[in-house]
Amino acid sequence: MIQPPSLLDRWTQENNDLVSKCKQDALNRDHNLFGQRRCSSDFHKLLRKIQGIPPHLDHAQLELSVVYNTCVFFTARSQFEEAELLLTQGAQRVLQITGVDPGSSDPSVLWRAALKSVATTALHCHVLSLLCLQWGIWLTKSCLNSIKEFREEMSSLLERQGGAAWDDCRSESKEKIPNIPSLVLDPRRLVELLKICTAIVQGAERLNEGWSTLSALQAASALPAPRGLIAYTHLLSGSCLTHMNRPQMALLCYRKALETDSRCVCALYQSMLIYRQLENSHAEIQALRLLHSTLLLPSTTEPAVAPSHPLSPSLFLCSQSLSRLISVPSALSVLHSLALKCVIHGRISEGVEYYLDLLAAIHSEDQHQAHATVSTLPKLPKLYLEAGAALLTARRPADCMALCDEVISTTLDLVPEKVLLEDPEDGCVARSRGVKEEAESGLEWLLWAAAAYLLQGHCYSQLKDWQQAVTFYTRCVNLLVKVHYKNRGFPPQVPSPDKEQGIDLCVLQRLKGLSLAGRGISFAQIDRLREALRDLQLSLQALPEGVSAGQWCGEVLWRLNRKQEAAACWENTWSHSNTSLAEGLPVYTQELQSGPMLDSTELHRKLQELGSI
Amino acid sequence: MMEGRCAAESWAEFGRLVKSGTPLVRCGLGTDVFVSTGSEEIFVFTALKRKLKGVLQLPAPVRDLVVSHDTQHLFVACSSGIYCVNLQLLLHSASTDAGSGPAELKISSEFLLVVADGVSSLLLVGSVLLTLCQTDSSWLLTLYKTPEQSQSNHCDVLSSFFLPLVSPSVQGDTEWKSVLICVYFSDMTQSSSCAAASDAYSSRSHLLLQAVLFKLLFGVEAALSKSPVILCGLPDGRLCFLPMRLPGSRLRILHSLEQPVVFIGASAVMETELGGAGCLIALGKQGRVVLIKADRAGSERGGSIAGFTERCVPGPVECACVSKSCLYYSTGSDLLMLGLSEASARKGQDEGASRWSAAALYRSISLNVSGVVALDQPTCSAADEVQLLSLSVRGRLQKISLPVRRQEEGMSKLPSSQVGRSVGDLLSAIGDVCERASVLKTVIRSKNQILKQLNQVVNISFLLTDSAKTEEKLIRCYGLVRWSRLLQKDSLGLTCVLENLSPYVLERGWTLSIMVLPLSCSPKAREEACSANFSFPFRRLCPGESLEVSLPVAAAGDASFPVTVTCSLIFSVWSFLGGDGSTTFPDLQNVCFSLPLNTLTVDWLHALRVISPTSAQKTVTSHSGSNPADIIQAFISSHQNRVRGGDGASRPEQYYASVRVSSDLLRDALRLQRHDSDLNGSKLASQNSCVSLLEWLLSAGCGGVKMGHSGDQTGVSSPVVCGHAPNKATVKLTAKEVNLDEESPGKESLVTVEVQVESSSVAAVCGLHHAMLRRIQMLLQTAPQKACSFSEVQISALRRTLQQAESQQGQISEALSVGMSPGQTHRILLRVYQQLRDSPVLVV
Repeated sequence: MIQPPSLLDRWTQENNDLVSKCKQDALNRDHNLFGQRRCSSDFHKLLRKIQGIPPHLDHAQLELSVVYNTCVFFTARSQFEEAELLLTQGAQRVLQITGVDPGSSDPSVLWRAALKSVATTALHCHVLSLLCLQWGIWLTKSCLNSIKEFREEMSSLLERQGGAAWDDCRSESKEKIPNIPSLVLDPRRLVELLKICTAIVQGAERLNEGWSTLSALQAASALPAPRGLIAYTHLLSGSCLTHMNRPQMALLCYRKALETDSRCVCALYQSMLIYRQLENSHAEIQALRLLHSTLLLPSTTEPAVAPSHPLSPSLFLCSQSLSRLISVPSALSVLHSLALKCVIHGRISEGVEYYLDLLAAIHSEDQHQAHATVSTLPKLPKLYLEAGAALLTARRPADCMALCDEVISTTLDLVPEKVLLEDPEDGCVARSRGVKEEAESGLEWLLWAAAAYLLQGHCYSQLKDWQQAVTFYTRCVNLLVKVHYKNRGFPPQVPSPDKEQGIDLCVLQRLKGLSLAGRGISFAQIDRLREALRDLQLSLQALPEGVSAGQWCGEVLWRLNRKQEAAACWENTWSHSNTSLAEGLPVYTQELQSGPMLDSTELHRKLQELGSI
Repeated sequence: MMEGRCAAESWAEFGRLVKSGTPLVRCGLGTDVFVSTGSEEIFVFTALKRKLKGVLQLPAPVRDLVVSHDTQHLFVACSSGIYCVNLQLLLHSASTDAGSGPAELKISSEFLLVVADGVSSLLLVGSVLLTLCQTDSSWLLTLYKTPEQSQSNHCDVLSSFFLPLVSPSVQGDTEWKSVLICVYFSDMTQSSSCAAASDAYSSRSHLLLQAVLFKLLFGVEAALSKSPVILCGLPDGRLCFLPMRLPGSRLRILHSLEQPVVFIGASAVMETELGGAGCLIALGKQGRVVLIKADRAGSERGGSIAGFTERCVPGPVECACVSKSCLYYSTGSDLLMLGLSEASARKGQDEGASRWSAAALYRSISLNVSGVVALDQPTCSAADEVQLLSLSVRGRLQKISLPVRRQEEGMSKLPSSQVGRSVGDLLSAIGDVCERASVLKTVIRSKNQILKQLNQVVNISFLLTDSAKTEEKLIRCYGLVRWSRLLQKDSLGLTCVLENLSPYVLERGWTLSIMVLPLSCSPKAREEACSANFSFPFRRLCPGESLEVSLPVAAAGDASFPVTVTCSLIFSVWSFLGGDGSTTFPDLQNVCFSLPLNTLTVDWLHALRVISPTSAQKTVTSHSGSNPADIIQAFISSHQNRVRGGDGASRPEQYYASVRVSSDLLRDALRLQRHDSDLNGSKLASQNSCVSLLEWLLSAGCGGVKMGHSGDQTGVSSPVVCGHAPNKATVKLTAKEVNLDEESPGKESLVTVEVQVESSSVAAVCGLHHAMLRRIQMLLQTAPQKACSFSEVQISALRRTLQQAESQQGQISEALSVGMSPGQTHRILLRVYQQLRDSPVLVV
């Protein structure tokens, strides 16, 4: 006669069926999310059935196993609150079985009591595995204190018995019940994962608070763990060393991190920052290039784990200070810094290629910034203008003109007739900055359009079409004079570019100076010396440190036979001439040396001639 | 006007709509129409053959659907996720069994594309699928990459954007609806990229916007990158936008309608260049329309700015669509047309004219079609005839052809072939008009009713707030206290009667609220709110009627007397509207105002239970022996007394307090009180005056509260009255006449009546003393103005202030005696008070 299976057997069977189904599902990656959702709801249903009857010693093993399975899936789906609730309930039911009253609802007291009450029974390992899940949930909430509280006994327990505890209870129960409840995730794997994740999060937190945690991190790097996580420990060691002002050693650590996991882009990014700090521009450009190409590879941020593992490490690595350390700018931002660095350091043709790549990427259909990080890219019109300036320097005036045309056609119809600039007082600045971050202002539009005209003027002067150049420089000037200052008495000299408004004013002044200089030079080329002199002098008023304006002003004066003045002008120019490009200001507001040049040795010779007379 | 009538052609019926669902009508690119009535089904209808082609059965109610640009796929948003259906499959299965009616296709989880909860809108831009859903704390816009091949149904998340909720409140089902559209930059110089999807641009969720307006609204960056911009309209009224392909862009707010956004569209008004609508329109649920255009800025600044024009049309708006120059919207009872184009025609004329035209412009014209709940994008036929595809509240899919508006034609001869058709149109229009008229009639009737009732409410409010100064209120409460015994416990009940002597009716919405609060509670008791609130909503109280409600005041043994009973009338707008308004006006639930009526006081005298002196004699040793439980109680308490007191079997201490009132004054006052009774001055002997004083004290309705005595206890026959105080102590009231001439020699003798309170409980003595003083004070307030103009009035005023001080003292001692632990100290304290009380108060 066949006995109908008991309730316990049926439930155990159901649990085991679900576990094998989930493991099958996990192999099939396509349905992972949906599968997890179904699994968690199935396990939860089963658990509710089991918990429908009062806690009993015979059912305890099964119940705790199902609690474990359910909570693994809840955690995998980031339902931490629900998981924690179930875990607490589980512990409470264990206490009910053993008849112990914890006396307090504090979780640590509860768990301690639960562990103690089953210390010698077969349930011990089950309660331990539940505690491991609780550990994970504490980790997601960055409750490092609770973890530390249990750290000692947990680790001592785990170390002493190793995995043996679980093996023991497994074999023991095998004898008693033929049908043992199986688990979706081996608790030993879970412990391994949690240990390294805790080490990483703790390291990041302590680093954030200004502590050095080198030894702890180096110890953690020896733990058995996925490569990605080991790489993180090296990365954190590197950050430690950076804080301790040892860039070379930090570079070594970052290198180790990269060697461990080639997709650890944050290590690459951090090394780039160190090169920048060390002003090693060649290495910086190299690092940027590598970083960019790595970022373009598919899925670079997630540390990989075995596909059958339902819990991804990223669940536990959500601490604020860690994410600040491992965040990396978007591929486009990296590409932009790469292009800009190349242009600034004189690798023009490379820079131009990168700028063109950048523009192409922005216009491509499937550009959707997969990681919605805060972009450090400048606004798009500025990018266009920077690219235009790079093209101009690379002697490709036609391409530059096309880009400028686009900027002009989109901005020109928005440019207001008159822009009134208030005196940038403290309160006013704060307010206007708040507005500026959101919306584009009339001044911004105007500056973009003017800069585009300026670049076009440069293009024509490069093509030696002086008449056209004069036209475009004039358009630029006409736009710039629409800006009116409204302040107390004195017109602003070129203000310091550290304020927001300051940058705009500074750009305005520079554009004014450069466009007037350009027009003056063009006039000089077609021998309209009076206009040329007027423009060049106005230009020097707006931008006293303009080198070409100074040189050409002297030249025009020389040609007008005002040689003493010319000499004074040249002397003055050379006294404050540094031709390097300033980084604080956009490239297109710098002097690009694209127009007609004067040979300075020739000028010196002229000066000597004058002196000898 | 005949020219305003339009023809409605009914195509199919799909059954009544689901109430909280989202009705949808969407045209496929071909002749297919997809209809959802808010249930789990989607009907596929062929406009060409005028028949139902198939039914898609989804696992959950449909919230939104979109058709892919190549009409290969249908994306459906349900509450459980997004499903993708291959339409070719459906077509194929439909064609194989062509004869056997519409094909049914069950959509199961194998079609599931994305698992997402609470998706409220869908949009397809190229190969990117966008969803808008509401989570607990924010709105979430997610971009998915749709699969390339039809076989794989897995979507990768490209990115997602958050926008925090304004108020994280629980929102009803109706609030799920949101609008999601895509706006393109109209740049005709480089149309190569746009040309591919140019057909899609004209659909309802893809708009091509004029360049200047686009730049002004969404920025130069979006224009320069040629990025499509996603516009969403949220139920909280916010219009947000997101440039799709701009690095680092995020959801930003464009405008707020402050009411649920029902529709966003664009119209070609002010068309300045080829292609690209010059006006963006958003329409709110309650009828607020905002038109966004590019305006020339003022002469001082110059350049262009975005102009936001807000107007209101009669709501509520169920659905809307926009054609080249008109906005069509349905209020459920009517379909209306709003012209948008005249403004540009009048542009350049003088100010006055343009203002006039602006007023005329935003006037809705009725199209006489009722019950429209969903509309698709209007189509324009060759003859300039606008056709709308609509779904009515009864689930009828109909094509509405709008009349061609030609002024000069008017009533021309129709070709005979069209006569028959127009009669049919006329009949269907009459049906519609009938339906609409009946709906409107009921609405008007209920509105009138409500107005009438509100008028009453306002009158009553004025009455109650005005007569606050005068003594007599036309609407007031009086009370009746009565001891009752329930479940072997005595309790004091108060019957409160609300009298409506005003000429107005108290209608639905009013509530009588009564607050019972001890006049003096000990500080400890005050902390735990010792008041009790009772409210009695009532239906209708006509003039002259009264409403009687009963409420418990105190249980026996509870000595927290005197209590004040504060009555007020509360009017709640919500219950006035019958609770129907809750869906539309959730705030109204708390809107109510309270109008105070009078305040009653129940004091110790009210709560005194009079027993005959003989039985009082008995109860000195044993309490009223009717109940065995009482006897036992009495026994135990006497035993305790004996043990605790320590002085053997001696009787407990007795406390006294007394009040003296001038007989003359009393006579005048009492006669005045009951001037029509047979009592008159000559008959009022000294004995009588004592008895009548006691009788008055025990029966008069003081402060609006009467005592309801049961049967035999009404008459007071002797100058000694015994009774039980509410704290179960036995009290004795003795009235006697006292001559005061020895105290004031040289004056004529002043005859006074002295009432003495005697009890073993200090609390009872104090309480009764206070109550008596109150009564006499009240008596003096009403009586002496006319009756007595003695010089002693001065003195009585002085006395009165003394009384008040005394009564306050009494309350303090009462509180002390209740609150403190028994001990020798407080007994001493009480004795001091007792001595103070022994010097009787004289009221002249």
